Amino acid sequence: MRIDFHTHPLLIREILEKDPQQLKATWDIFKIRNNPQPLKTFFLEMDISGIDKAVLLPIDCSTSRKCQISSNEIVYNLCKENDRFIGFASVDPLQKDAKVKLINAVKNLGLKGLKLAPELQEFSPKDRTIAYPLYETAQDLEIPVIFHCGMSWEPGVKLKYANPLLLEDIAFDFPDLNIVIAHFAWPWVLEAVTLALKYPNIYIDTSALYFDSPPEFLSYVMTKQVPLSLIERSLRRQIIFGSNYPRVEIKNMVQAIQSLGLTDGCLKLIMGENAQRILKL
Amino acid sequence: MKNYIKKIEIQTTKSEEAIDITSLVKNAVEKSGVKEGIVNILNLHTSAGIIVTEGLVCLEEDVLNCLARLAPASGNYHHRRYLDKDGRIAFNADTHLKSMLGGISASFPITEGQMVMGSRQTIYFLEFDGPLCRTFCVQVLGWE
Repeated sequence: MRIDFHTHPLLIREILEKDPQQLKATWDIFKIRNNPQPLKTFFLEMDISGIDKAVLLPIDCSTSRKCQISSNEIVYNLCKENDRFIGFASVDPLQKDAKVKLINAVKNLGLKGLKLAPELQEFSPKDRTIAYPLYETAQDLEIPVIFHCGMSWEPGVKLKYANPLLLEDIAFDFPDLNIVIAHFAWPWVLEAVTLALKYPNIYIDTSALYFDSPPEFLSYVMTKQVPLSLIERSLRRQIIFGSNYPRVEIKNMVQAIQSLGLTDGCLKLIMGENAQRILKL
Repeated sequence: MKNYIKKIEIQTTKSEEAIDITSLVKNAVEKSGVKEGIVNILNLHTSAGIIVTEGLVCLEEDVLNCLARLAPASGNYHHRRYLDKDGRIAFNADTHLKSMLGGISASFPITEGQMVMGSRQTIYFLEFDGPLCRTFCVQVLGWE
């Protein structure tokens, strides 16, 4: 099974017809300005990319941006009608009922993980008062947490909360919590890789593209910023394929990963088996 | 004179493909009621095209392969950078160039309510960056 661990259910016509506010949140806050497409395009994109299932990531930035960029309910409804989707929850750590919302999203909506974007939600992932209760809850619920890390295009976002080294305390304090560092944490690739080498509960997703093309960028990150041998030999069980669709087409990221020169065994792990393991599929 | 405009959506299913749209255009001409005039077919995208050629599967493949040779995906393009207006990296210069090389429009005269076409001519929508839901415009100008 091949899984795309990093997609956003955005700019989907059927959703926008029911919730027009999503267009403004996507264009102005998240700043992806593609034209909306029917849901069918998402599935066709998965088909031509050889992807069986896609993880859907919403972002609840109710306090910082007064909106949700997709929502747990949207994700739930998409997953209910399409078994190729795996839904994650997002809660706003700055809201007092965040923990209750997370429990509800997992136990009642069947969502399989937690997405946090500290740079957009404007909280420190190390904050023991507001963030740690969520990690405790996620660990108890046995769900992974994926953090946006590294560069962000969103307007008004500062990167101080996007450094992956902020996640070290969490990896240490919650050894049974699987933590996914998104976007290879670029430009803090060495920091992300260092954490993954040190902590077995740290994973890294490949959804990174900040200049050039997908093959050029991922080749730079995965063969020059760090040697490919490090991924092959030491991190093959901790790298997870993600595209960041619809900011980047899935097909292009799949081709980029496949062109790096990884062995078939390593590719199988990155393209699906690692995700299957932490999602318990 | 009548100016009839119809926008038609098609869902492409592959990264690159040629889709025969001749019947869609003919239907639009018929629906327009125009008996004497001209029909213009215009693709509304910059990474897709409109061409006219013989309606054969082998030729469809040859056309796409020819354009891919002229504008290879692996070329060293300047159009590989962040575009603020899109909020994303642009890296599809090859698809824009294919669109430009293949063309984005076609026109046919209309007489007695019928398009004047060669017996082997087929109108194709060319997808260079799919799968996507695409739109092309059919404009029928003339007299009923």
